[in-house]
Amino acid sequence: MPIATPFHSRTLERCTSLLYKDWGGYYAVRSYDTTHEREYFAFRHACGLIDVTPLYKYDVRGADAARYLARIMVRDIGKLKHKQVMYVCWCDDHGMMIDDGTVSRLDEDYFRVTSSEPAWHWLVRTSRGMQVTIEDVSDRYAALSIQGPTSRDVLDAVCGGDIRGLKFFRLENSRIDSVDVTVSRTGYTGDLGYEVWMANEHALRVFDAIVDAGRAWGLELAGLDAMDVTRMEAGFILNGVDYYSALRCLIPSRKSTPYELGLGWMVNLKHEPFIGRDALIRENHVGSTRKLVGLEVDWDETEALFRAHQLPPEVHSGGWRDPRPVYDTRGAFIGQATSGAWSPILKKNLALATLKAEHAQPGSTVRFEVTVEYERRTVKATVVDTPFFNPERKRT
Amino acid sequence: MARYDVVVIGGGHNGLTAACILAKAGRSVAVFERAPAVGGLCTPREFHPGYHEPGVLHDTAQIRVEVAEALHLDQHGLDLAAPVSVLLTGASATGITIHASDDATAADIARVSARDADRWREYRAFVGRMRKVVEPLLNEAPPDISALGSLHAGSLGLLLKSAVSFQRLGRREMAEMLRVPPMCVADWMNEWFETELLKAGLAHGAVIGLWAGPWSPGTATNLLLADCTTTRSIKGGAGALSAALERAARHHGVEIRTGAEVASIRVDGGNATGVVLASGETIDAGIVAAACDPRRTFLDLIPPATLPVAFEHRAGVIRSRGTTAKVNLALSRRLEFAARPGERVERARTASTLDDLERAFDAVKYGRFSDHPVLDIHAPAVSTAAMAPDGTDVVSMMVHFAPHALVGGWDDAARERLGDAVVDELERVAPGAKAAVVAREVLTPADIADRHGVTGGQIHHVEHALDQLAIRPTLDTMRYATPVGNLYLCGSGSHPGGGATCAPGALGAAAILARRSR
Amino acid sequence: MARRYDAIIIGAGHNGLVAAAYLARAGRRVLVLEKRHVVGGAAVTEELYPGFHFSVCSYVVSLFRPHIIRELNLTKHGMQLIPLECSFTPHLEGPGLVRWPDPQRTRREVSHFSRKDAEIYPEFSLAMTKMGFFVKEIIDSPPPDIGSLRPAELSRLAGLFGHLRDLGPQMMELHAQLLTMSAVDFLKMWFESDALLAPMSCSGIIGTFLGVHSPGTAYVLLHHYMGEIDGAFRSWGFSKGGTGGLSIAIANAAQAYGAEIKLSAPVSRVIVKGGRAKGVVLDNGDEYDADVVISNADPRRTFIAMVGEQHFDADFVSQVRRYKFRGSSGKVNLALDRLPNFTCRPGAGPHLQGDIAVAPSLEYLERAYDEAKYGEFSRRPYLNVVIPSLVDPGVAPPGKHVMSIFVQYAPYKLAGGADTWPSRREEFGDTVVDTLAEYCPGLKESILYRQVLTPWDLEHEIGLTEGNIFQGELSLEQLLFLRPAAGWARYRTPVKNLWLCGSGAHPGGGIMGSPGELCAKALLESKEV
Repeated sequence: MPIATPFHSRTLERCTSLLYKDWGGYYAVRSYDTTHEREYFAFRHACGLIDVTPLYKYDVRGADAARYLARIMVRDIGKLKHKQVMYVCWCDDHGMMIDDGTVSRLDEDYFRVTSSEPAWHWLVRTSRGMQVTIEDVSDRYAALSIQGPTSRDVLDAVCGGDIRGLKFFRLENSRIDSVDVTVSRTGYTGDLGYEVWMANEHALRVFDAIVDAGRAWGLELAGLDAMDVTRMEAGFILNGVDYYSALRCLIPSRKSTPYELGLGWMVNLKHEPFIGRDALIRENHVGSTRKLVGLEVDWDETEALFRAHQLPPEVHSGGWRDPRPVYDTRGAFIGQATSGAWSPILKKNLALATLKAEHAQPGSTVRFEVTVEYERRTVKATVVDTPFFNPERKRT
Repeated sequence: MARYDVVVIGGGHNGLTAACILAKAGRSVAVFERAPAVGGLCTPREFHPGYHEPGVLHDTAQIRVEVAEALHLDQHGLDLAAPVSVLLTGASATGITIHASDDATAADIARVSARDADRWREYRAFVGRMRKVVEPLLNEAPPDISALGSLHAGSLGLLLKSAVSFQRLGRREMAEMLRVPPMCVADWMNEWFETELLKAGLAHGAVIGLWAGPWSPGTATNLLLADCTTTRSIKGGAGALSAALERAARHHGVEIRTGAEVASIRVDGGNATGVVLASGETIDAGIVAAACDPRRTFLDLIPPATLPVAFEHRAGVIRSRGTTAKVNLALSRRLEFAARPGERVERARTASTLDDLERAFDAVKYGRFSDHPVLDIHAPAVSTAAMAPDGTDVVSMMVHFAPHALVGGWDDAARERLGDAVVDELERVAPGAKAAVVAREVLTPADIADRHGVTGGQIHHVEHALDQLAIRPTLDTMRYATPVGNLYLCGSGSHPGGGATCAPGALGAAAILARRSR
Repeated sequence: MARRYDAIIIGAGHNGLVAAAYLARAGRRVLVLEKRHVVGGAAVTEELYPGFHFSVCSYVVSLFRPHIIRELNLTKHGMQLIPLECSFTPHLEGPGLVRWPDPQRTRREVSHFSRKDAEIYPEFSLAMTKMGFFVKEIIDSPPPDIGSLRPAELSRLAGLFGHLRDLGPQMMELHAQLLTMSAVDFLKMWFESDALLAPMSCSGIIGTFLGVHSPGTAYVLLHHYMGEIDGAFRSWGFSKGGTGGLSIAIANAAQAYGAEIKLSAPVSRVIVKGGRAKGVVLDNGDEYDADVVISNADPRRTFIAMVGEQHFDADFVSQVRRYKFRGSSGKVNLALDRLPNFTCRPGAGPHLQGDIAVAPSLEYLERAYDEAKYGEFSRRPYLNVVIPSLVDPGVAPPGKHVMSIFVQYAPYKLAGGADTWPSRREEFGDTVVDTLAEYCPGLKESILYRQVLTPWDLEHEIGLTEGNIFQGELSLEQLLFLRPAAGWARYRTPVKNLWLCGSGAHPGGGIMGSPGELCAKALLESKEV
């Protein structure tokens, strides 16, 4: 039985579809209407506002805070500057992914970690002997994500201070309707966007102020379904869907390493020993056996397959998360597509898939399973680089 | 900066044993001991002018003779003799003496129960057969379970050897061999004997140092182990063992530094490279051999953020809860037991019934010490006159059960209350003792922890529970090597466990030498 | 006038019925003789008070083997299980703790007591699930024959060992710990809060004369994780119509396959001639002949009372004599006028639909055990309470309820002797009701009828020696190839054609059906019948 976020009274007023799902034990809107399309296009052409309170949040403080986080994270936290945010992931002793999230440096020895699964105990159990305190503030702070090309204008109108100058992956303290907030230029849509953090008790005032200001800029309330499509276009992986936390896997083959998930770019093997480093050095040396890749599913073949049954191509209108097998051109199993979506903006059928390394080169051709009239068939798919969609405005 | 092939942390009997063996094999070895003298739990001390206590581990009957011989400890003053008789005594004036000779014991038991006298012979015969299986396991490193898949030759050999000696027992006895270890010692004793005093006295020997009572499953293992390891006693007691080991160590060129506490183990790139002393002095070493307990080694001495997370967690759940207090008395006259008037008794154990023993244990479950503790009594002056002035006596007692984590904490008042309870119990079996006390020293588990640097004051370093005897102290470290390169264990926290056996020290040293020769 | 059967089964407990059904299904002529007027043994439903149907002894179905349900087609014969939804631990102060099927909800509940415990719960479940495979292996096949050099036995041992090895060293270590540690020590490798440790560790002590700190109690924790592996998700549950409903379904299946069941037919002894079992004699003198006699009674009752020790060698007799029973539990069944109202969670609600454990702290549980060790029933016992009428309304009149209270510790051997139990029965019942009433005031006023079963009653009414609900302690030295005696763990006995099929045989007690199934299958394989 989920519980309400601080925004629940507002979302419930507007969520005419009553489509909610359980996100981390909270009620979270899937889509306000019975379809998510309007919300999706708001993300890409105006802006969407989504309640991201269920993200887990931890405050890490103390003289050893930076040294401590450097030991946890595969990325070099030493390089994280004041008021900067880093996308990070962390691993177990064997270099197997536990979760991905962000670390923000709020002060010299004050950081905030966000995660998709509860991480308090992992943080605590790895902190023995360090001068550091770890506090679970998940239930204390509410969060809103405002994403899309006009998000900057909306926040600029409503926030005190210089939001317009806030750079990609930076954060700034600000005020909205005289409520203290922290604004970071981050998000899960691969677009220009911001996340706004505030204490629970003032959450509704901030919400109302943003929604008021947003009217002039086409702001729509958005739910998880629309965000799922945008995150697919952005090529962002999702814990519990595209990979599983090593702490939750019954069998070793379900675990993944950052290299396999395409996060090798953030693994800094040179920085002081971090948890899982030895295993990752080995993997970096011998290479990964699997890789997470982007797939573009061939439209013509799909269309032809359905046409043979006198059907138009039946493509899921939103994101999907039920994994399906991927084969090589001779029909041998080579991995699984774990999630995907039809991209309205690219007009392409996209998926994220974990494939044997020899099939993971961009340009490789693989076979993707499609069910036509209850019969399992395959269509051509091409391995491509992610992100699938990467607008200039995201960073500028 | 000083540099040695091997630095041994802790100058207890196991640390010294390991140091001797390594030095004898040509390694340059230094032993660092925080106390002013070596010996660890086997350090005798003059606690009152003229009165000497023999050390915390006053039972020396478990020394591995093989180790003593290999180190020629006899040439360094070690004198082995038949195990000292133990008087089992309780509230009534009767007593039963367990002698080194089974016939003598049976004769003594026959005065109470003819049936039990016969059963004693059968029991000893049974133990003798079990001993053939158990004893070889104590003289070798445990098999490498984790490498069984790859059929590691040495481990397979040991397994086969055990399996063969096991098979020789015959099917019925094999089943018995598997049935007994998980049992509680009370049930096992009830199967054998009818005399409460005999059952309680034997069971007492099985629960020393344990966080368990006679009704706790698995305690039969400890009795079986004690019975299978009892060999020869050391003349002069535990102190004589420490002295002989120290002489042997110096003879082989070991550098012994007392009053030199190791503050941390230096680790570089996953390998131990030496130690840092509390004084700040750093010592380089090719190998660090830790004779201190595993929790101290891994959780206190290894720098934070060094160990794998899973291993650190595993080390953190090692159970090292001390339950033993030590009380030393200086008596103005000789100790005399009601059960043996006019006789000099060197060793005695109290507990009239199994339930007495169990009740004594019950207290620690709730964080309290027993109001009626059971006593493992040693009067060393009986055989070593120099321990006490003429015509007087010194009484060393291992007291059960007292928790390390006493509710409300240990303070002087609690310490004295425990001391009073112990003296009252002693008075019950040795009337007149109370009035003769001229000095008393009470060491709580917390005192033992502080004085000897043993986590929880646990005299076996790691509790002797079935799981922690079989896999000791953890799967990753049960063959003395550790996840930290060049760091080895060689203390009681390793196979085959606590007590003045010297076996873990010898096996730890052997593991170090085996690695070096590869 | 002797009548011949292929097999006679002494006792219509659930295992006897399972064995009967398997044998009849294979075409054998089977007769089941039950001393009571109902089938089920300790798995029985009785209308003790008009309109109120009680699961008199055993009250939840735990690990009943799913393949037995399929093979005997038990759902066709009326077997239905209603899952236990949750687990409620009331406290005298604060809101208590409910563990729900919804993991997020449980996480929030547990984090009131410990954030660490709340977060580590899934990791613990994962480890237990992995180990469940091993247990499944053990309870679904006859025990390994240690010391045998027969190739089949060696390869079975190698198989078990190989299975362990495949799990990797860490899991091997965990198995060793699970088999030997106390429930508390084992759980403390993950958890820290008393509020969670206490109710979780209870499952390790049920039916044993051990405390939560006693080594060897960790093993049973696993049984709670077996459901996942069995493909019988949420296999802990109520049998519709009470636990007897399950027994009746098995009896129906057995009869449909052609087995005969005779009630009120107490067997007084087994006829043994020339070292072979030939049949049985009833209390009334009636004789029944059979090729094979299978006893669902416990080992002591079977070998000493029904066969006679003169038919066994001294070693076997001493093994049977030292086989430990030591019943430690009792049962109080209440007919209630209304639902209990718990102070810490007032009113009706789903929290009452699962099991309710009075286990507020580890110290509480340990003190309950300590009292029993010295021959007294616990003044404040551990209680496991269920109200099956909430999910199966047919067992009580509309708006009324039946409440089943499992009580521990109630040692069979009171300090004054086991025979003092009848004179202390009501005092024991009062203790139980008083204990529960501390958590739900008004309980006493709502009681319409009360039945108190002490271990002495279980022995005299149901025939469980010393009132042990598992037909012998489930301690490590009485499990596997040692249950009930070394060399006789494969359902055979030293008397030819006499077999054991009850909980006193491998893999032991609980409503599993395994001893009955494995005995019947071994017997059929032996071609002795």
